[in-house]
Amino acid sequence: MTPSKSSRFLLMALQLGLCVIILLPFFWMVSVSLKPAAEPFAIPARLWPENPTFENYLTAFRPEFRTYFLNSVVVSLSTVVITVTLALFAAYSFTRTQMRLLSLLMVLVIVAQMFPASAIIIPIYKMMKAADLLNTYTSLILAYVTVTLPVAIWMLRGFLARLPVALEEAAAIDGAGPFKIFFLIILPLCKPGIVATAVFVLIVTWQEFLFALSFTSTKEMRTLPVGMNDFIGQYGIRYGELMASSVLISVPVIAVFFLLQRQFVAGLTAGAVKG
Amino acid sequence: MLKRDRWLTWIFVTPAVLLVAVLMYYPMIGTVIESLYSTSFINPTPKFVGLAVYQKIFGSADFAQIVWNSCVWTLAVVVLQNGFGFLCALLLNQKLPGQGLMRSLILLPWVLPGVVAAILWRFMYDPQLGLINSFLISAGFGDQGLAWLADSSTAMAAVVVAAVWKGFPFSTVVFLAALQNVEAEQMEAAKMDGAGSLRRLWHIVLPSMKEVIAINFVLTTILTFNYFDMIWVLTRGGPQNSTHIFPTKIYELGFGQFRFGEAAGYGVVSIVVLALLITLYFLVQRTGRKAQA
Repeated sequence: MTPSKSSRFLLMALQLGLCVIILLPFFWMVSVSLKPAAEPFAIPARLWPENPTFENYLTAFRPEFRTYFLNSVVVSLSTVVITVTLALFAAYSFTRTQMRLLSLLMVLVIVAQMFPASAIIIPIYKMMKAADLLNTYTSLILAYVTVTLPVAIWMLRGFLARLPVALEEAAAIDGAGPFKIFFLIILPLCKPGIVATAVFVLIVTWQEFLFALSFTSTKEMRTLPVGMNDFIGQYGIRYGELMASSVLISVPVIAVFFLLQRQFVAGLTAGAVKG
Repeated sequence: MLKRDRWLTWIFVTPAVLLVAVLMYYPMIGTVIESLYSTSFINPTPKFVGLAVYQKIFGSADFAQIVWNSCVWTLAVVVLQNGFGFLCALLLNQKLPGQGLMRSLILLPWVLPGVVAAILWRFMYDPQLGLINSFLISAGFGDQGLAWLADSSTAMAAVVVAAVWKGFPFSTVVFLAALQNVEAEQMEAAKMDGAGSLRRLWHIVLPSMKEVIAINFVLTTILTFNYFDMIWVLTRGGPQNSTHIFPTKIYELGFGQFRFGEAAGYGVVSIVVLALLITLYFLVQRTGRKAQA
């Protein structure tokens, strides 16, 4: 739609307003993270500190923060790799084999993500405790792979369903086995879908809070979101450090998101719009 | 996959199906069983009490409050998030300079980790240091900051606003993709016939997006009902239970007070609610497919 000149102004004003709504909290997060601890908060709020400094970042990057960061990286990356691999296999089978039992299983798997994690948290906590897995990467990775698998399968299914089966049939006639077909034909064609799914799984696991809060009780095993939540109580109103930590946590996912954004948005909306 | 490779199908789906069965469906049964037993901090050994837990829950004032809160929270977030999200999608669908950048920026709040978003909003609402009070005071609304999150009359509104800010970009992106699928020819024809933009919105755009809107409404209802992080970090359900919803109450009862039976009881109720919502989701999806066919 090409708007008329008079309404164009109004639309651009609205666009600017939307920009402020989205960016103001971010801007303030960065601004406060650069504020020296000695500089007081003023009313009206000073939007940019008088003497910006990185001192909050240096204090925020304390040893425990580094531990949380490492834990988050290990757990998130493992989850991304395992989930995407398992989801790809499953989605491939679900789209290529027509069987009533299989469709039923697929619906049950995809529906699972809609039930609240809080409703199963107690039994799952007890299971992890019984298996002696509390405070381990394994418990978190197991839980994260399970909760992200349904969405991942759902997203990848959208991509796989659109690939022409004729290609695989032709390869089979030429004598290619099922593994060769999967790795040499399906995998390369699915790359955009795989990237989109991986980014989605990363965004979800990087911020997961409930399982991490329940399964980890030692400082050594906590992930960033839980560690951040602890910081609130520990440091009271030392918002400078809190905001510096927030920036440090957000930068990795935001960077990945911007780098792979085009494919990610296409993948996200393909499933949601096409159903 | 070819017929002769059918055995592979089962090998391919087994890990995913097994994980979901063991770590999601089996614990759901576990929650039901758990709710039939009573445990507390003083009596840690589970004791079978049958449906007594439900009698206790349904009779308590807490339960009524949590049902009410969950309804208000879910309805408010879903309506505002999708309403605002839709308006933003309309705006981003216009031919304006800088739209490419806007379409990238819009997802920022959604990508921001939930706990970080919650901490950021906690800070925005801070009575002394928060940006919101600072604006209000300098604009002449009183000379003292309001404790938005500590006052039971404003806490719910405050958590809703924070959740909408975090969630509306998702709706915008979904609606924007659907808007771009609306046929340009149909729009041009309507324009030629002299239909104004509001009429085109009502008669062409909205009808062709009906299914996407309906599915997105149900989907965000499900996600919002289950959303734990934002409220837990902002208020922990307080003050005086005024922002407690099912997920936060379950966590507090279970891990805060070790009342596993009651926590599981709340869990079972929320599973039932979700089962109803999921049924609705499939009904909506099916009518959508029928309409398309």
